[in-house]
Amino acid sequence: MNLEPSLPIPISYIAGNYFVFSIDAVTYLRREHHICGVLMGTLPQCPQQNVFLGLPLELMPEEARLLVEKGVACIVDEIKAQKHGMKALMAEDRKKYLHELESQGLQAMRLQHSRKEQQKEMALKKIEDKKLAKAKKMAEKQATAETQVSAEETQADPMIDLFADSQPSSSTPAQLASRPASIASSSANVTMGVTPATAHPPLPLKPADDQLLPLPEVPSSYPLFSHLHAEGYFLSPGLRFGCQYVAYPGDPLRFHSHFVVVSYEWDEEMDLMDLISGGRLGTGVKKGFLVGGAEKKHKDIGEQKDTVRTFSLEWAGM
Amino acid sequence: MADTDEAAIHLPRDSAPMDTDLSDETQDFRMLNNISFLTDGSQLTLPKRGEKDFEPNPTLYQADILSASRQAMHNALSYPRLHHPRNQIVGVYAPDGPAPPPSAAGEDTQLKSGAGVGIHPDSCVYVPIPRGQFFKTMGQADRWNRTWLLPEEALYLLERGSLDIRWPRSMTGSDEEEEGSEGSIEDSGIPMSLQAAYACFIGRGGLAVERFTVYSGLKRLGYTLIRAPGWTDEEEAEAEEEAPEGLISRGPGLAGILGQFLQWFQSPITTAAGPVAGVGIHRSYNDIYRKLAIIPWHNPVADPSPPSRTHAPYCVVFHVYKPSTPFRKTSPPAPDFRIAVVNARTNTTIPTMSQIGSLLDSTPFDPPKGEKMERMLYLRLRQGYRSIILAVVDQGVVSYLRVADAGFGKEKLYAAKAQAGNKRSGFTRPKPKG
Repeated sequence: MNLEPSLPIPISYIAGNYFVFSIDAVTYLRREHHICGVLMGTLPQCPQQNVFLGLPLELMPEEARLLVEKGVACIVDEIKAQKHGMKALMAEDRKKYLHELESQGLQAMRLQHSRKEQQKEMALKKIEDKKLAKAKKMAEKQATAETQVSAEETQADPMIDLFADSQPSSSTPAQLASRPASIASSSANVTMGVTPATAHPPLPLKPADDQLLPLPEVPSSYPLFSHLHAEGYFLSPGLRFGCQYVAYPGDPLRFHSHFVVVSYEWDEEMDLMDLISGGRLGTGVKKGFLVGGAEKKHKDIGEQKDTVRTFSLEWAGM
Repeated sequence: MADTDEAAIHLPRDSAPMDTDLSDETQDFRMLNNISFLTDGSQLTLPKRGEKDFEPNPTLYQADILSASRQAMHNALSYPRLHHPRNQIVGVYAPDGPAPPPSAAGEDTQLKSGAGVGIHPDSCVYVPIPRGQFFKTMGQADRWNRTWLLPEEALYLLERGSLDIRWPRSMTGSDEEEEGSEGSIEDSGIPMSLQAAYACFIGRGGLAVERFTVYSGLKRLGYTLIRAPGWTDEEEAEAEEEAPEGLISRGPGLAGILGQFLQWFQSPITTAAGPVAGVGIHRSYNDIYRKLAIIPWHNPVADPSPPSRTHAPYCVVFHVYKPSTPFRKTSPPAPDFRIAVVNARTNTTIPTMSQIGSLLDSTPFDPPKGEKMERMLYLRLRQGYRSIILAVVDQGVVSYLRVADAGFGKEKLYAAKAQAGNKRSGFTRPKPKG
């Protein structure tokens, strides 16, 4: 898991949005740089639900910019890269790639096949065990004198019934599996089609220089974003919770968020009602309402110090 | 201990887990591992919400759980998209849109020009051998029995691992004489990766990322979605002058109420000439109430003005059908919902009255019907006479809002009270004692 992808990580720019497609990059960014993004893809193993989502990872422009400024990532014009990359693909590269995919597909098929076999064995073993246990019980019962029947039998019967009930359900998959066993064993050598998640290979990992894009444009809340990020917070988009960002003290996988964040310009006038409703909203969901922005320094353009100030509001009368 | 306090605070909330939307929060992917999705699909139940901690502490215990969670997430996300040869569906990317197969192209020049007839021009993937449940609601067949998919359909199917899209030969360069896979002329045999699919399909034919997010999110929940006429926003009509006068001349539409309101302000009814209810003898409260109703109100039932033009993003882009609605893609029924998709990053303010007004005017008149609606006032108000669902997408996170044209002015509370008598009925008919 603790793989270190080669830096800089290419962030795909597609139609105004930023994506990461490599799973290693996704876990690396999360682990080392506290960048979570939003997973927006369908999980192929569990495609009819919205609770767990999969690749690609969509990054906010703020996140993409932060990573580029840190030197961890670069922005790639993905549409251009795909077009040129596929055109420039050499015949041998293509063959190699197809060969690779084929072996992957073969391996996947074998894996699935062996898993099926394993399951079949398990199921068969279970049945076997149950039969044994049942036979043992019957033998015991016959051995014991018929005098103490009534009470004991009524107790034992439901037990047997239970087993009998569970038996068909557990045996059906085994039967099903055993039927196409001959087909399956022959098809274990057939390859599965594979749809890879990333375009590399066959495309080169390093993007060409003419496919690189400048820094992403970010909203005016960026100073606050990078300030909170530097303080160790994990930030995700927050409109769903009525704010700009939700700030988590640790990985959102494991921790509840502490703040709902709204950014203001330094000289911007605030509506008192916004502060009240924000404060009530935050307190209502056991979070602090955090406002902040970059302080305007007196014409010190060269100074790049972190000048963001933050304030948190809590509604006390609830 | 602080932790027990924390737990106590959380208790009442956890006792009502039904209202929490699991997808609202980042889920612990360890829970996903409990799902035995590989064995059989029948016992697929989603996991309960995972326990989370308040804040990080430097214990090894916490670090271990976190790394286990991340590992589980890594495993779940690296699950491959595999296609068993027995049910593999292969599609071919057609970067130039619908075209006849190369074998047919030569035989008739007329045919070539008419190839796109009936096929949506934005379609860009064709499936030579369509089979399976997905094509009941997606795709359009051409006369060579190939099914054409729109970019969002192709991307959704590829992403869920149900479609294997191949690069066309025209795009893979080095076009030498090589044995084509399965004898196809266009199929290069190179599968398209998820990354390439995003690059090829997002942004194509108006498919913005936020639209695809909404599309796939609802598809995953089982809804059927088709493009609505508002998908393409013709820009040539944009030149029309709009704004200030548009507000007043809009007539009895929802926006028109604003104009009426302004007029009412300009000619205020004053009490200088006497009471508003008029002088004289008043014999019924209803008459007085009727005379006191001096504020103009919007009547949603009134004859609609010619619908004004909707402007992106406030236009209907998807028609949505519930899974239970019988759906035929050749003649889709009236949609259950209409959805407009808004990117929260580019539209940072709530829509204006005229934007919402013209958006609602573009939806059909759908008054509250049924016995339940007639009986229950608040249901009726909530239902409204026209409605639209706004899907607001903030960087991949979707919030759905339903906007309805409620007819408050139509509900005369003073008239209804007498007959409804819901609370008073106990008094009018006292139960016999004893």
